[in-house]
Amino acid sequence: MHIIENGNVAAALGVKLCHANVIAAYPITPQTPLTEKLSEYVEAGEMKAEYIPVESEHSALAVCIAASSAGARSFTATSANGLLYMHEQVHWAAGARLPIVMCVVNRAVGAPWNVWNDQQDSISQRDTGWIQMYCCDHQQIIDSVIKAYWLAEKVSIPIMVCYDGYILSHTYMPFDVPDQEKVDAFLPPFRPDYALNTEEPANLNTVTLPDVRMDIKGEIAHGYMEIRYLLHEEMRTALTVAAEAEKRFADIFGRGGDPYVEPYLCDDAEYVAVGLGSLTYQLRVAIDTLRKEGIRVGVMGVRFYRPFPDVAVANALKGKKGVIVYEKALSYGYEGALASDLKSALYEHLAGTGTLPFVQNFIAGIGGRDIRTDDLTQSLRAATKSRVSKEPVWIGLKL
Amino acid sequence: MQAKTTILSLPTEEFVHPGTRACTGCGLAIAYRVGLKALGKDTILVVPPSCLTVLQGLFPIASTKLACLNVTFASTAAAASGILATLKVQGKDNIKVAAWAGDGGTSDIGLQALSGAAERGENFIYLCYDNEGYMNTGAQRSGTTPIGAVTANTPFKGKLQQKKDVPAIMAAHNLSYVAECSAAYPLDLFDKIRKCIDMPGTKYFHIHTPCPPGWGYDPRYGIKIGRLAVETGYYDLYEIVNGEFKLTAASEKLVEKRKLIPVREYFRSQSRFRILTDAQIAVIQNQIDAKWANYYKKDE
Amino acid sequence: MCWLFCPDVVISRTIPPKIDLEYCKGCGICAEECPTKAITMVDEAGFSEEDKDKE
Repeated sequence: MHIIENGNVAAALGVKLCHANVIAAYPITPQTPLTEKLSEYVEAGEMKAEYIPVESEHSALAVCIAASSAGARSFTATSANGLLYMHEQVHWAAGARLPIVMCVVNRAVGAPWNVWNDQQDSISQRDTGWIQMYCCDHQQIIDSVIKAYWLAEKVSIPIMVCYDGYILSHTYMPFDVPDQEKVDAFLPPFRPDYALNTEEPANLNTVTLPDVRMDIKGEIAHGYMEIRYLLHEEMRTALTVAAEAEKRFADIFGRGGDPYVEPYLCDDAEYVAVGLGSLTYQLRVAIDTLRKEGIRVGVMGVRFYRPFPDVAVANALKGKKGVIVYEKALSYGYEGALASDLKSALYEHLAGTGTLPFVQNFIAGIGGRDIRTDDLTQSLRAATKSRVSKEPVWIGLKL
Repeated sequence: MQAKTTILSLPTEEFVHPGTRACTGCGLAIAYRVGLKALGKDTILVVPPSCLTVLQGLFPIASTKLACLNVTFASTAAAASGILATLKVQGKDNIKVAAWAGDGGTSDIGLQALSGAAERGENFIYLCYDNEGYMNTGAQRSGTTPIGAVTANTPFKGKLQQKKDVPAIMAAHNLSYVAECSAAYPLDLFDKIRKCIDMPGTKYFHIHTPCPPGWGYDPRYGIKIGRLAVETGYYDLYEIVNGEFKLTAASEKLVEKRKLIPVREYFRSQSRFRILTDAQIAVIQNQIDAKWANYYKKDE
Repeated sequence: MCWLFCPDVVISRTIPPKIDLEYCKGCGICAEECPTKAITMVDEAGFSEEDKDKE
């Protein structure tokens, strides 16, 4: 069924279709309407779920962790400082291998206070062990929430579905709301290997030693390092499972593509712009302009940031002269995180093959600074002439 | 009215194995053991970092026989809420949730989540075992450390601030049941848990828990010292049922007896109070006397 | 009393009580609380196989 609604509603509809049954909610701009919508569904009886209006984001994720440990399909959403407040729990959920799905409506982090869009919040959670998916439009938002539950429960790893605050959360677009029966066919009920219960009691997440240790049956149990290794290992495997998710989704819903990257006019491009989220769609306008000038340029959205699809990305950029990475976040003191990861993937897979493109990093839209398409076009045009700088270049800065 | 449990009528089934990693003479071990008897096997426990985390042991071996979720320091009551929500959607209404947290994890870092859960009327029992400091990490001061106590980070001057009255804070949430108990009076603790377990909303327990290394005494005197706290009138055993306050057990008997042991005996039994001067003790004695004058008055 | 107050659940609820010395930590609460002073704490260094709980 096609409707016109905003990005937050798209996310809420995804959560409803997935029959999430424990929802923790705490308000923060620009996520708030998402969890408000969920409260409407729950109170109207359209969702059979426990809705817990917690007293902080740290508690929001605590509720999800406990609920998921006991076998519920849980959900919460947040932005910026809310995500930062629950950071301890973010690490915890991944280490505890819980298939929680959380929407992060990307917003700039304090200090100083800023409610507008950039991606510093989710990018700063890069190393926690969560899978991260980035959406470019409302269709991707609702579809990603559905895919995320399937993927998370398959690999027992929590997933952040990220989309740009205001730019996507508050704007209206047409999109298809999948049929409930089809979603039920795609996503079975949550059946964890173990859910906390009193018949077979277990003590979860207790103190784990550096070394391995024998259990009461005389078998050697994993030490902390093994447990953490498996998280990493299974995150890497998740790349393959993500492709499976994409294919299953396409089979049932009739739409899908490359699970890892979303290219536009990249096949014959000499230069490729790369980004995460809605910015890559805005870049398409710049691409079209430059193409008319005869510049062979394309843009590629990266759909999974973690696990990083290094092979897919390196293959897509093989033989290109230059890669221009536009980011709404950075690792302060060095450069954009995506640029670093890209450079490392290119080096890893293409060094010595004679086809290593340069990487130009542009930082834009920090704190919601308006990204003018004109600036994108100009910066891209300049980068296709020659690499502008080794250091990241900030677009739209008004010093 | 329920009959009081005696040592002979206390259920014999144990829910803790011997060989816990608790210190010698740990007061928590006593309170926990009897508390679990009151809660029974259809209970899921929630435990933040604390002495109890250590008591329960190191992966992959646990000394507790019940299901237990270990959680982050600040999130105990929120985690309990999450488990409750899941039990509700699963239709498992016979299973109880019990959170056990230390005083640091309750009065300091855990207070926000606890207040939130209480305000939402989350239907679980929260038991704070108060050994009056962050004992697990080496006896640093917490919000419930009493004034004058020497701790690892109040080493020479002792704690300068009063003990935070957490039961009073929880009572302000209009709970159906709030109780002060002591590890030295385990039967009183047992009866109170059994009494309130089916009452609505959050039930709050504050359990005075003697700690040999943290308080500075020979472990064998743990129960004696716990009793002294009560018999000096310094620490009271009570319950607040739907807003109505009532002293219980040994504290209730003291109202009839009208005779309190001087509190100096309590302070002199533990090396953590070694810097308390006679003058300071006199001030505290006056406060205790005033409090009890009030109790006697209400009784008349 | 000893059975009730043992922090380590190592004393049986019998007369005479049996103490599992493998898991007893030697805190002495049982000895202190016994109304008849039936339990004596003995330093492990001087411990010999015959020295069990005395009645």
